[in-house]
Amino acid sequence: MRKVISRSVLFLLTAGAALAQAPAGASATKTVSFAKETVGKEPSSFAPMVGSWVMSQDAGHKVLFIDGRVWKRGQPAGGLADKARELYGARNEEFIESIKAFAYYPIAVYKGLDNFENGEISVRFQMIGGTLDRCAGILFDVKPNGDYLTVRYNGTEDNVVLWTFNNGVRKFVNRAPTLTPLELGTWHTLKISVHGTSLKSWLDDKPMHDYTLPHSVSGKIGVWSKTDSMIEFDDFTVTPTAK
Amino acid sequence: MNRLLALVALAVVPLAASAQAKPAAKKSPTCGWKPGDAWVTRQAEFFDDSKHDWSDDTLRTQLLQAAGLGAALSAPVQFGVEVQGRAAALGPNAAAMTERLKALAAQRGSKWPTRSVVGAAGVHAVYLLSQSDTGLARNVLHRMMEAGPSESPAADVATFEDHMRLVWGRKQIYGTQFLVGADGKIQLSPMEDSAHADFRREDAGLPPFRVAMCLAKSGS
Repeated sequence: MRKVISRSVLFLLTAGAALAQAPAGASATKTVSFAKETVGKEPSSFAPMVGSWVMSQDAGHKVLFIDGRVWKRGQPAGGLADKARELYGARNEEFIESIKAFAYYPIAVYKGLDNFENGEISVRFQMIGGTLDRCAGILFDVKPNGDYLTVRYNGTEDNVVLWTFNNGVRKFVNRAPTLTPLELGTWHTLKISVHGTSLKSWLDDKPMHDYTLPHSVSGKIGVWSKTDSMIEFDDFTVTPTAK
Repeated sequence: MNRLLALVALAVVPLAASAQAKPAAKKSPTCGWKPGDAWVTRQAEFFDDSKHDWSDDTLRTQLLQAAGLGAALSAPVQFGVEVQGRAAALGPNAAAMTERLKALAAQRGSKWPTRSVVGAAGVHAVYLLSQSDTGLARNVLHRMMEAGPSESPAADVATFEDHMRLVWGRKQIYGTQFLVGADGKIQLSPMEDSAHADFRREDAGLPPFRVAMCLAKSGS
């Protein structure tokens, strides 16, 4: 009985502390755990749409790995139609057509949140390799027609850039002014915050972007990469907030 | 650029183009690589110019002559072993061709010598020639990466990136760059994330690091 009471008190204290820290109208922070995933298989918490996204291990810890070694131009991930149907129901064909045009860019959509409009998204990443690119990005504003935005770090360019993908066309939007060389085989954190049309980004807590988007954000989120990049992702965290 | 490089790759005598051509296994019999190794096969596939499907034969011929290469290459072409302070043997027209490449690199929209323009051997010649000029090398590496894996040999791109990273004061990532220490022994130049080096080398079509180290030492 004492144990039950203690646990209840602990729960209330923890919940109370969390509520005290959360802004009004905020939803809970979600950090994706890969603990129950199977190494060598696709993740259950993300839907890989383009590229070979598999669970891997780093020092005994399970991580999500985009394996650019098997990247082929114009090659979407296996089972794309089923995954698109799961995410977008009847509108899946439109999504598939757009995604095929972007098969240069591996993406995996997070299944745990249908609509992200405001708040923060962060992910830890480690560059393993890639001859052409070494890209780790946060995917957001993913629309049913396959349009999306991404803020990514590229280890072959040492920069953080915001890209937009609309109607099958990729466009450069804004490059963070700071060049930041990162060592391969080391973990780093990329983070964005979205409040209305305000977009900010950080790399290892260093401010990168402070940019005003032409429209507010609304859509699914996930992780992004490019061509033959080999990147490990971990601690994908989203904190949605009210408008 | 003061850095002079020894390209162990040049020890492989150019022969008739053939994916099955006998490699220079006799040079380093103890290093453990075999003609049937996956990285050798991958290079053989890329450097197979037997289809003669390039568009500028004149430029290709000039590039090969300037780089001191024969009409075709046999795999393996690139071992990913460069030793600082040892010069590669280029052809008599190397300086003139380097200037021409500089002019091409500076010209927007120019027809850059990729594989479809000058063949795989021609691209390798561009890689060899550009090592002698830091400014040109930077442009060439960028062009090779931009052209993609079907137009640029991944093994050359990887070795080239390591070379340039050291020039820029960074650490190499594939483990292709060596130097001769004060004691006269071959040493690996500074490297980051050595734990995944073989992973990257395999992806780039290079032999395992232990082979590269053995080749570097055997050539010392």
